[in-house]
Amino acid sequence: MASFAAACRISARLAGGRATSRGFTTSSRCLAAQNFTMPALSPTMTEGNIASWKVKEGDAFSAGDVLLEIETDKATMDVEAQDDGIMMKIVSQDGSKGVQVGTRIAVLADAGDDISALELPADEQPKTSSQPAAAPASQKEEPKAAGKPAKKPESAASGTYEHSYPLLPSVGLLVHEHGLSKEDVSKIKGTGPSGRLLKGDVLAYIGAINADRPATVSSHLAKLAHLDLSNIKVAEKKSAKAPEASEAKALKAAPKPEKVLVELPISLENVAQLQRRLQDSADVSVSINTFISKATAFANGRLPVVPRQPTTNELFDEVLGLGKAKANKYSQGSYVPTIPDFSYATSRRTSAKKSDIIDILTGSAKKTSSPSAQRPAPRPDARLVADDIHTFSLLVPKEEKARAELFLERCKLALEEVPETLL
Amino acid sequence: MLASRLIPRSAIRTLPSRQLASPVAAPVLSRWARGFASASEEKDLIIIGGGVAGYVAAIKAGQEGMKVACIEKRGTLGGTCLNVGCIPSKSLLNNSHLYHQILHDSKNRGIEVGEVKLNLQNFMKAKETAVTGLTKGVEFLLKKNGAEYIKGTGSFINEHEIKVNLNDGGESVLRGKNILIATGSEATPFPGLTVDEKRVVTSTGAIALEKVPETMTVIGGGIIGLEMASVWSRLGAKVTVVEFLGQIGGPGMDTEISKATQKILKKQGIEFKLNTKVVSGDTTGELVKLDIDAAKGGKPESIDSEVVLVAIGRRPYTQGLGLENIGLELDERGRVIIDSEYRTKIPHIRCIGDVTFGPMLAHKAEEEAVAVVEYMAKGHGHVNYGCIPSVMYTHPEVAWVGQSEQDLKSQNIPYKIGTFPFSANSRAKTNLDSEGLVKILADPETDRLLGAHIVGPGAGEMIAEATLALEYGASSEDIARTCHAHPTLSEAFKEAAMATYAKAVHF
Repeated sequence: MASFAAACRISARLAGGRATSRGFTTSSRCLAAQNFTMPALSPTMTEGNIASWKVKEGDAFSAGDVLLEIETDKATMDVEAQDDGIMMKIVSQDGSKGVQVGTRIAVLADAGDDISALELPADEQPKTSSQPAAAPASQKEEPKAAGKPAKKPESAASGTYEHSYPLLPSVGLLVHEHGLSKEDVSKIKGTGPSGRLLKGDVLAYIGAINADRPATVSSHLAKLAHLDLSNIKVAEKKSAKAPEASEAKALKAAPKPEKVLVELPISLENVAQLQRRLQDSADVSVSINTFISKATAFANGRLPVVPRQPTTNELFDEVLGLGKAKANKYSQGSYVPTIPDFSYATSRRTSAKKSDIIDILTGSAKKTSSPSAQRPAPRPDARLVADDIHTFSLLVPKEEKARAELFLERCKLALEEVPETLL
Repeated sequence: MLASRLIPRSAIRTLPSRQLASPVAAPVLSRWARGFASASEEKDLIIIGGGVAGYVAAIKAGQEGMKVACIEKRGTLGGTCLNVGCIPSKSLLNNSHLYHQILHDSKNRGIEVGEVKLNLQNFMKAKETAVTGLTKGVEFLLKKNGAEYIKGTGSFINEHEIKVNLNDGGESVLRGKNILIATGSEATPFPGLTVDEKRVVTSTGAIALEKVPETMTVIGGGIIGLEMASVWSRLGAKVTVVEFLGQIGGPGMDTEISKATQKILKKQGIEFKLNTKVVSGDTTGELVKLDIDAAKGGKPESIDSEVVLVAIGRRPYTQGLGLENIGLELDERGRVIIDSEYRTKIPHIRCIGDVTFGPMLAHKAEEEAVAVVEYMAKGHGHVNYGCIPSVMYTHPEVAWVGQSEQDLKSQNIPYKIGTFPFSANSRAKTNLDSEGLVKILADPETDRLLGAHIVGPGAGEMIAEATLALEYGASSEDIARTCHAHPTLSEAFKEAAMATYAKAVHF
């Protein structure tokens, strides 16, 4: 779990960093207090629930302290402080649901500030604060924009665009030559990278060239910006199959390995008890998920090796007389038990784009892994009825039956008898 | 396969043994004590290949705080580029250019030099010093950024495990949450010619010949072929380049630039046979004999040469990687099939560099390495494939970015051209090095830059300006209105931009 948590922390820190840096670049620059906005803990996250704040209003915290816990549809994650500071005000209290990313959830002050003397900075709408480096002109207009959240600066309806300054040399010259005012310029849509205003855009605006030419060139160049992954022809497996087939024959025909299902009911009662005990006594919440993963890892260790054909390397070692010394009787397993009623959310992004070669490949090879199982994400196990007896099952090749049984026995031993050793 | 079912990655992570008490702890402890890598913890990222793609990804991943291991079998990092490609060849190109200049050019400049002798052994040593310094530097960077470097050959056992046959003997198994395939490419062999790297060589052998051959034939007039042809021609070999296509420099080079380059190189003594096919080769005699056939009705002939360089391109390298164990398909040209985020059909296994799509260039691989790690860590990465420059380090250098005139023509895209010759550039003139030209292609209406092509001194450095302009959507006027220092070669680039949207001043 450790590195997953670390990964979460990284993204959270990142998000936190973004949130604070955003605070610096906008109008709150002059104030010591900064808005702390809902961070995006994953690229796809749009909203989240605030599980609980770990600091109270007026508390000082230092960089790395956990500020709050955020629940998303995928996981519960800690958000750490990026810098030392003081929690000035909590805007969205514990249990706030569906808070949009970018919404102000708290106000932070710098370490050592007298928070009673500080003013609360204005709440910036996510729309305005997410603007790219704004032009000097737009900064002046910002308070107004903030007051009227309905006004979207980039909306096509009102037809104005924020442009980055300084303008390109050619653009600046054209603007002067044709006496275009700032308002005129803001009416021109930029077709350059990130909407940058290009010479062609101004030329089209003043009617010197075809109005649609800039967009045409832009879309043509945009196409070149990506790898051409269309019309991929998958290599025929002919060449690969031929030797494979002959090899298979040589190895006295190894057809599809027969699979057997190995099952063992395991009670999670002790685990649940321990979990509650930890929660009550030490205020540490350890998920059942963690117990199962640790038990799985433990049980996977040093499983008896299934008899198999020696590899070429082993044969070579044997020739050199090294074979015996290295013969492993045990090996690390990689079993993962299937547990009914124990479901995990999947985070396979449902991409809106049309199916590409990867979809075709995965479609044709569905048996390797069902899409739902491809990217499982851990999920808090709040909904798991812990006291029940669960049937852990494994689908393994026939010859691995004994190995798999031992694996499940060990899982049972670890989870039922000695769950505390797992921590 | 099973591993991906139902339980999250974290569930299959190994368990620290020391915290396990009696009855169950015993087997685990002894397993740990053995110290096999099979017992090592799961990595956030395992990279197969320590070339430019692999090592850059390893450093970047280390910087992002990931637990990363990079597997490389060569024994030194940097891959083809650093060990047997870009870097050593640039050492040879630079030093052979110096030698050639001292021999043939110094008199014109008023410098009388006594006896000039080539010491090929020391010549090669200079190359090796550069290579060792750089590969060691990369190794240091990996260490500095906390990336583990494993010397060995990696192959897939399953979707999460990589078996490594260690170079020092022994074997270990690594588990990774993410796996990155960055195994690169190898020289495509010529059917019917066995490469021995002595008489029939690829680029690898061509940078390490023991003596300057009397005669050398280069099959393939692409960038690698022409660079090697330049080196050995300058050192005294009689070099013939046989190219199947109608132009040198490969299909990506602008035809006009290619023709200009060919003229210059021909003056330097390299002989070209374009539109010519090598039919067969014979290595039994004292000299290697190649039967060639002009594609357009020429008569067949044969060339004898001491050394034949096979430089017909490179192909993706996936040998021994065990892709069949995880069911990954390749495309018809042997490339690993990926999506736009470099994922293979198994989403946690990604692939970048020469072994997959796109131009086989070190800087492209490097860009992808950064992007792929950003995709893993942040969910977004950026490589603009429309803005990847190409450079050929002959003398003069050839460099280009964006589209060529023939590209635009074939797609019926309108364009305007501006050119400027280096013979009208003051710095080139003073350097007595004024061959070549700058050619800029822009949209005729919007003036937006579409491509830039340079043959001339310092073209490889100058192309950075064009790439920046292209990346930011500049028009040729924007380039022309940006101040360029005088007297510099880069003024030629500015003047070409002026010629594109208006008129050049100095021509």
